[in-house]
Amino acid sequence: MKNQDIQIITAPPDEVEINQNELAARLKVNRGYQSDALDRCRQRLLEVITYQCAYIRTAVDLSVENRCDFGFMTIDSKNLYRNLNGCREAFVMAVTTGIGVDRLLARLNVSSQAEHFMTDALSSAAVESFCDYVSDKMKTGIRTAPRFSPGYGDVSIEVQKPLLDRLNAAQLLGITLNNAYLMTPVKSITAIMGVRQ
Amino acid sequence: MKKITELIKEKRVYFDGGTGTILQEMGLPAGQSPELWNITQPEKIIGLHRSYLDAGCNIIKTNTFGVNADKFENYEELIRAGIACAKKAVEGREEAYVAYDMGPTGKLLEPLGELKFEDAVELFAKNVRAAAKCGADLVLIETMNDSYETKAAVLAVKENCDLPVFVTNVYDASGKLMTGADPAAMIALLEGLRVDALGMNCSLGPDIMLKIIGEFEKYSSTPVIVNPNAGLPEVVDGKTVFNIGEDEFSDYMVQLAENGAAILGGCCGTTPEFIRKTIMKTQNLQYAPPSEKNFTMVSSYTHSVIIDRDPILIGERINPTGKPKLKEALRTDNLNYVLNEAIKQSDAGVHILDVNVGLPEIDETEMMVKCVSAIQAVSDLPLQIDTTNFDTLEKAMRMYNGKPLVNSVNGTEESMKHVLPIVQKYGGGLIALTIDEGGIPDKAEDRAKIAEMIANRAAEYGIKRKEIVVDPLALTISSNPESAVVTLEAIRLIRQLGLKTSLGISNISFGLPQRDLVTSTFYANALQSGLNCAIMNPFSAAMMNTYYSYRALNLLDTGCVDYINYASANIGSDNSSAQKQGESNESLHTSIVKGLKENAVSCTKALLENTEPLDVINHHIIPALNEIGTAFEQKKAYLPQLLMSAETASLSFDEVKKKITTEQSDKSKAIVLATVKGDIHDIGKNIVKVLMESYGFTVYDLGRDVPPEVIRDCAVEKNCKLVGLSALMTTTVPSMAETIELLNKTDRRIKTLVGGAVLNQEYADMIGADFYGADAMDSVRFAESFYQNQN
Repeated sequence: MKNQDIQIITAPPDEVEINQNELAARLKVNRGYQSDALDRCRQRLLEVITYQCAYIRTAVDLSVENRCDFGFMTIDSKNLYRNLNGCREAFVMAVTTGIGVDRLLARLNVSSQAEHFMTDALSSAAVESFCDYVSDKMKTGIRTAPRFSPGYGDVSIEVQKPLLDRLNAAQLLGITLNNAYLMTPVKSITAIMGVRQ
Repeated sequence: MKKITELIKEKRVYFDGGTGTILQEMGLPAGQSPELWNITQPEKIIGLHRSYLDAGCNIIKTNTFGVNADKFENYEELIRAGIACAKKAVEGREEAYVAYDMGPTGKLLEPLGELKFEDAVELFAKNVRAAAKCGADLVLIETMNDSYETKAAVLAVKENCDLPVFVTNVYDASGKLMTGADPAAMIALLEGLRVDALGMNCSLGPDIMLKIIGEFEKYSSTPVIVNPNAGLPEVVDGKTVFNIGEDEFSDYMVQLAENGAAILGGCCGTTPEFIRKTIMKTQNLQYAPPSEKNFTMVSSYTHSVIIDRDPILIGERINPTGKPKLKEALRTDNLNYVLNEAIKQSDAGVHILDVNVGLPEIDETEMMVKCVSAIQAVSDLPLQIDTTNFDTLEKAMRMYNGKPLVNSVNGTEESMKHVLPIVQKYGGGLIALTIDEGGIPDKAEDRAKIAEMIANRAAEYGIKRKEIVVDPLALTISSNPESAVVTLEAIRLIRQLGLKTSLGISNISFGLPQRDLVTSTFYANALQSGLNCAIMNPFSAAMMNTYYSYRALNLLDTGCVDYINYASANIGSDNSSAQKQGESNESLHTSIVKGLKENAVSCTKALLENTEPLDVINHHIIPALNEIGTAFEQKKAYLPQLLMSAETASLSFDEVKKKITTEQSDKSKAIVLATVKGDIHDIGKNIVKVLMESYGFTVYDLGRDVPPEVIRDCAVEKNCKLVGLSALMTTTVPSMAETIELLNKTDRRIKTLVGGAVLNQEYADMIGADFYGADAMDSVRFAESFYQNQN
């Protein structure tokens, strides 16, 4: 079974504006901080970044308290149950900036810790920004619950597995899990976003 | 019935199309594995196969795409049942073949992922062993989006059965695999592994494949398979539809066939009707199997390098001969040094990196495998595996991600009988040295004879002539005055034989002063004689000058673009010298504070001409670091600036160290650093490392996820009384406590310094640490005071 009802969103690197607050927080600088070195890191990152998202819109059954049943996975969680309150459907998504970023970070980890630190911050901010970008596209004309990611609150990180399998993320996005349920490419996010009726 | 490998030489053959969409229409629930139906509803699977055979296809893919031993305990049963369904369907039909279908593992291989290469080979091998017993006609490895995993799968097939093997990869809109390989890189790899057909499947649709097919037509000597999706899936009214219909699809397939696609079929969203129309429109098109291409290609996991008229530079710096620092790095397992050499050579513009790690006191095979894997994590250049150890060569070629250049075989029986079978199995460009049992011939003609002899022997192993790159050997003119003349003549003769050439160019000037002058002039002569590759030092300006000038002079650099870029960056055009002038007005102090690396190095060199090395450290480097450090502590400077300054100071420090005599060097300032066991986050630890180094500390960096015993052993062995530990996750703080306890038990004089996002003073006290570093500067200040108190 490959890609049945799965939707794909991609974006050219320059179309996603990297969230400045997010970046400043990760760099541990004040908003608006600029430097030549940071600009160089940004340029080089944009050369290798490939934004990709796969998502489905799927039914969610909340008839049992603190249990969110998506058909292909069931998540027992108070936090998510509350988050999805009033939803009968949800978007389930995975986004990534691609394996090129991992390679760039591996290289910088050898050649320059300063550039590694800045590029790591930039790419973390980039994947968050892309997540916002795709969420905005998905929720055009609909009200949604706040985005919720596995590993947050009482939702186990192990949920990554059925979620990524359902999105055929290994094939479509190149996202794979290691034994500790961490994703490669490292700058990847999975999330659930309830659709409010 | 003819073998499928014979049939594809004669006519266009056809694969079937998609299964998922059709099985869902038959009632397969979304998210359920279709392979289960091989056992529970075989009649439906047989029916699906038959509908494709009725449409006219020749090869059906078994319903086993997602099966492997990791995902299904009963994988053998599923494979057996899947092949049985397909065999039932082809029963009594002519020219109908069963392809055992094998998809990816869904895991990413090392070094970026976790799956070990040999574990991937074994996982596929289990499938292949099960399938081989069931009577499939061929193996189809499909929907692979990673070159390394593809290689693992092909090896598993080759080592466990005699069936023909077809391979298709998934290319995206940019014409690359998910992990970066382009068609030429995949063709080089797969032809090296001797697959029987190769191509593309799945992806976005036939329109996208049409943009890529030209690459296959240009480079592939092997029949090309094209199995596209029916375009992109779209959800319309809650139902999935693909956006290309059978008429449009089959029109595209006609164009693909006209552009060299030999084997046609479909993937997701295609149905028997797609295949029927494709066959109808293409079966009468003229058919010829692909012609033999004459490219000498090697590859990495992203791209290929073609050895031809345009000169190829092979970086020689990763070879311990005559390089004491690299020797030391290899002896102490300092891979970072090796990786930096790889990155610097790649930045300097080489096309291929030579990797030679042969030292008598280390395990060459183990080190070679480690280096190849680590280099491939940081550089996308093809590698030249340089060893005289046959076991090392075999292991390195096996685990290399791509098709390497092999350095080398020679004309001795001993060398040929060992090296040629290895290259036959794994595929590689092959450097052939013109030396045999009688040594290196004095005459150029005799060297050419050895070259021809090796090429003929290689042909017996199926290694084509185009794969041979002859090195007629440059010996130093200081002891062999005729050497250059003979070697240049040998190049001409060998090129006339239709073989490519390579030289270890630097040897020519061994023992002479100002070697670069002689080497680069010889290089120009050799290029003029037809030399293709030079194993050379890319940090030699004279060599790079020759390279860029030669290309500009010989129609290899249109518009002299590369030459102009090189010249303006390196040879001091008005612009750049003015800029350099401007920069050099900055003092070393300012350069460090501002993080201007190149400038800091030149300032340091200038200062050292009339300043004592230790004064450069104490009066220039340290005060500058203190200034930026204080600014950071007062929140007037930020972490990125602090790090840039620290790296700049380290480079300056390296220059100073070259001038410091052993008595002067301050070996006592050292620290062991590690991220504790269970924790894989090392960014904080690395920041501390950079800063410590910039302050002149010797840092023993043990990396991340380090067990307590390893940390203790290092501290004891190095007699280092200061240990820095980092942890980012709350779950690994206990492992930090355990490490501290072990260190205290071992030697009370060892002091521990801890840091990391989850720690605070209270935690640090609780686990018995001697010092809590709130940030990197804080840690440096503590380390400084620790050693001041010692003195």
